[in-house]
Amino acid sequence: MRIEPDSHVPVYLQIVELLRSSIAAGVYRAGEGLPSLRVLSTDLRVNPNTVQRAFDELCRQGLIESRRGVGMFVAKRGTHSATARAEETAQAAFAQAAAAALAAGLDVDRVRELFESALPSASKKSRTKKTGVPS
Amino acid sequence: MIPVVAESPAVELLGVTKKFRGGLAVDNLNLTVPRGSTLGLIGPNGAGKSTTIRMLMGTLAPSLGQVRVFGLNVANHAARIRPRVGYVPERHDVYPWMTVSEVIAFTSAFYPHWDVGFCRELMDLFALDGRKAVKHLSKGMLVKLSLLLAVSHHPELLILDEPTSGLDPIVHDDFLEAVLRSVCGRGTTVLHSSHNLEDIRRLADSVCILRAGRILVHGGVDQLLASVKRIRAVLIDGHLPRWVPDGTVSQKIQRREWLLTVDRFDKSLADRIRRENPVESVDVFDLSLGEVFKDYVLGGAEP
Repeated sequence: MRIEPDSHVPVYLQIVELLRSSIAAGVYRAGEGLPSLRVLSTDLRVNPNTVQRAFDELCRQGLIESRRGVGMFVAKRGTHSATARAEETAQAAFAQAAAAALAAGLDVDRVRELFESALPSASKKSRTKKTGVPS
Repeated sequence: MIPVVAESPAVELLGVTKKFRGGLAVDNLNLTVPRGSTLGLIGPNGAGKSTTIRMLMGTLAPSLGQVRVFGLNVANHAARIRPRVGYVPERHDVYPWMTVSEVIAFTSAFYPHWDVGFCRELMDLFALDGRKAVKHLSKGMLVKLSLLLAVSHHPELLILDEPTSGLDPIVHDDFLEAVLRSVCGRGTTVLHSSHNLEDIRRLADSVCILRAGRILVHGGVDQLLASVKRIRAVLIDGHLPRWVPDGTVSQKIQRREWLLTVDRFDKSLADRIRRENPVESVDVFDLSLGEVFKDYVLGGAEP
């Protein structure tokens, strides 16, 4: 896990994103504790106030909860919420890319093609398998 | 009588000016650092950062104005303030003839709250050899010793004066780790002067950009990056800008490209630039702290 000090994205939001993706990926499961403020602050080389802000934001989003004197734990529906948040993040990124492409003068059909071509063909195959379309 | 001010900020500069024979080093600084926060002090060489820090440490008296630490005037209460402050100077001139252990024993005697266990922990982290003479330490080891001496009494205010300049990347990283280990969970206030803007981004809650003894901008790092944006407009052939926004930090025109960095950005500002100027297009870009710094320092805008 690392943060990008050169980015314009607030460092606390970068930490929110790191922890969110760790929760979504199952590194930390519902009911399990997160690393302490002290450990995250020294590991990421980030001011503890900034890590605390990230914790506060994740609590607000319902991904984690604080147990007084013990630390931060993944909330019951934390894994689910973390995955839902990933969808939102992806959607926002797509929206931004679409806006940029349209502003640059590309037409809607071409933008759609570009999105399609950005997806790896392997994932299309695996989806076909899952839905069980008979060949 | 000593004034008891419980909720006073860690640091207050009230109209602080310092004149040297060569001119004004610091010109009417007003700055507050709340307790528990970290301020990044940045600016080109000669901006007044070290002069400001020396006035905070009480080794230099302001020509005008007042410097207060924990609500106490440094001019009258230096002896009361000193044990609550840790200081890592730019040059590490600690007793070259002593061994590392001797310097530690000597320094610890000045501080009633010296934490022997924490001092040991840092010696291990830094792999500092107690038997070694200070004059034989490498530059990196000397900086580590200097930090260890500054934080082993758990200061309430830690002042770092360009501590990492000239360190190799590994020593640099150790240094950051040790600073964080020493401030974590203690509500330490940190004033960190540095040319390394990545360090400032990692460690600072707020930032103050100095130039020629004056404050160009002071505010939360995230707020600053949200409000300062670069705008690129493409000018219509044969035309020049007609309307330049108030909060323009810097601008330049090259062929059709008009680049300007603006403060207090919002979407209506971009719309207005589009409306009031002969431009083909207007795009807005986010900036890193390094770019914001450069545009402020080189931009020539008056504070």
